[in-house]
Amino acid sequence: MTPGGMDALLADSLEIGLVVLDAEARIVFTNRWFNRHGDFTADQTRGRPLLQLIPEAGDTRLEHAIEHATRHRLPSLLSPALHGTLLPLYRTPQERQSGQRMQQMIHVLPLREVRADATCLIQICDVTANISRERLLRQQSETLRRNSTQDALTGVANRRRFDEVLADEFRKARLKHSPLALLLVDLDLFSTYNTQHGRAQGDRILADTAGILRDAIRPLGDLVARYAGDKFALILPGISATETSHLAERLRRQIAGQGWPHPTSSIAPHLTVSIGAATMHPGDDGDTHTLLSSADVALYQAKHDGRNRSILFSPIDGSFMTCS
Amino acid sequence: MLQLNELQRDALGEMFNIGVGRAAASLSQIVSDEVLLTAPEVIVVRRDQAATMLIDAELRQFSMVSQNFSGPFDAQALLVFPESNALEIVRLMVGPHMSIEELAEFEQEAMCEVGNIILNACMSSLADLFRISFESTLPLHRFGDSESLPLLEGDEEQMVLILQVDMIISQQRIQGHILFLLSVSSMQSLLDCLDRYLREQGLA
Repeated sequence: MTPGGMDALLADSLEIGLVVLDAEARIVFTNRWFNRHGDFTADQTRGRPLLQLIPEAGDTRLEHAIEHATRHRLPSLLSPALHGTLLPLYRTPQERQSGQRMQQMIHVLPLREVRADATCLIQICDVTANISRERLLRQQSETLRRNSTQDALTGVANRRRFDEVLADEFRKARLKHSPLALLLVDLDLFSTYNTQHGRAQGDRILADTAGILRDAIRPLGDLVARYAGDKFALILPGISATETSHLAERLRRQIAGQGWPHPTSSIAPHLTVSIGAATMHPGDDGDTHTLLSSADVALYQAKHDGRNRSILFSPIDGSFMTCS
Repeated sequence: MLQLNELQRDALGEMFNIGVGRAAASLSQIVSDEVLLTAPEVIVVRRDQAATMLIDAELRQFSMVSQNFSGPFDAQALLVFPESNALEIVRLMVGPHMSIEELAEFEQEAMCEVGNIILNACMSSLADLFRISFESTLPLHRFGDSESLPLLEGDEEQMVLILQVDMIISQQRIQGHILFLLSVSSMQSLLDCLDRYLREQGLA
């Protein structure tokens, strides 16, 4: 870096801090930004060991990063998350007064050309503003993401999320040669329930049913989704036909067992459900559509047989089985 | 396919353990608490096998830091954690008083630095013992699923050194993987360096 030359002119115009060190970690150059925000003069810095200028940087990750750059010629990054305000740099004299340091992102880089009088470049960015903006953006995108994958009424996954997860689990099951099960849970005669008890009560029942289903599944891997108005779907990776059958029947009993009064139902004095179940090994012929339509066929059979029952359909041999 | 013999595997495993040991010291210093890192064994597989292994290890959504090293041999180094584990590391490092939202905000850059520390330490350990040097890009962080792993693209012939890493912070054990992707010729150069080192040590 030749003082007065073009490179020094550029370096002094940059809105980032630059410090160049020699092989002994002595300061060869600091730019105007660094001097201004650190309240140093060029005379104060030049030729001095960095750790003498800023003793608190001793035995920190910065010191190790400098060693990495000098000895191993490897670059390091010091994130504001883990170090934040490592160097005594301030955005304004007022903030210096109040002791409020700027948030820093620091890069410690080996200089490309190997020479003893300049081996390492420290580059400092002020990320104070980014950090508060990032926080806001994160919150907004999180809200958006939740809205687009979650069913607003019941809090379980929506149809869109269901489609994504089903495709994903199908692919995973094929890779792992493991089975994949699907349950469709349909509230029996729910439109007459709604007519009699009102939509608000109907909505409460949907939310409670979603809660029962959610509590029944494994928190990792399984998924409950609201598939259509009064129909829920459960994606269950890695469970056998027998286990699927047990689960379907247990859920049917559990929901009926809530004793939610449904006086106009022709099936029982309380609300009941019909469940269609299917399992397959995605290695076999067929795709997600095969699994979905198999569960649908099973559900149709359950309704056809008088509702309030759970039926498992096997897409391999086309057989129906009452779950137990 | 190139394979490691027992001596080579032990030596390489030991070198990487020196590296992760140093990385643990750096991480301990940042969190002012003891961080332990071990990489019990190193294996070499083909690129497509590595992808299957990671999928089996339930790395469906992962958090990944990469650096490209070049020198006597070139390697793309990756530190891969399941996404939930990465968030847990950041939580334990940045502090338990933060909400998930606040943590998520710091996650990428903090993981970038954690990856930088571990990958630099592994490679500089090799550089020291082999008396060679590397250049490297800055670390890059990505989120992704098993489909977007860089393992699934590129040359069929590429080979992968895989180290399983166990990280212990605040009594919590967190598992991840370090991967080094090497071309066949780079793998051969690595083995040449290793054999030269073993001869110098009078071990081969």
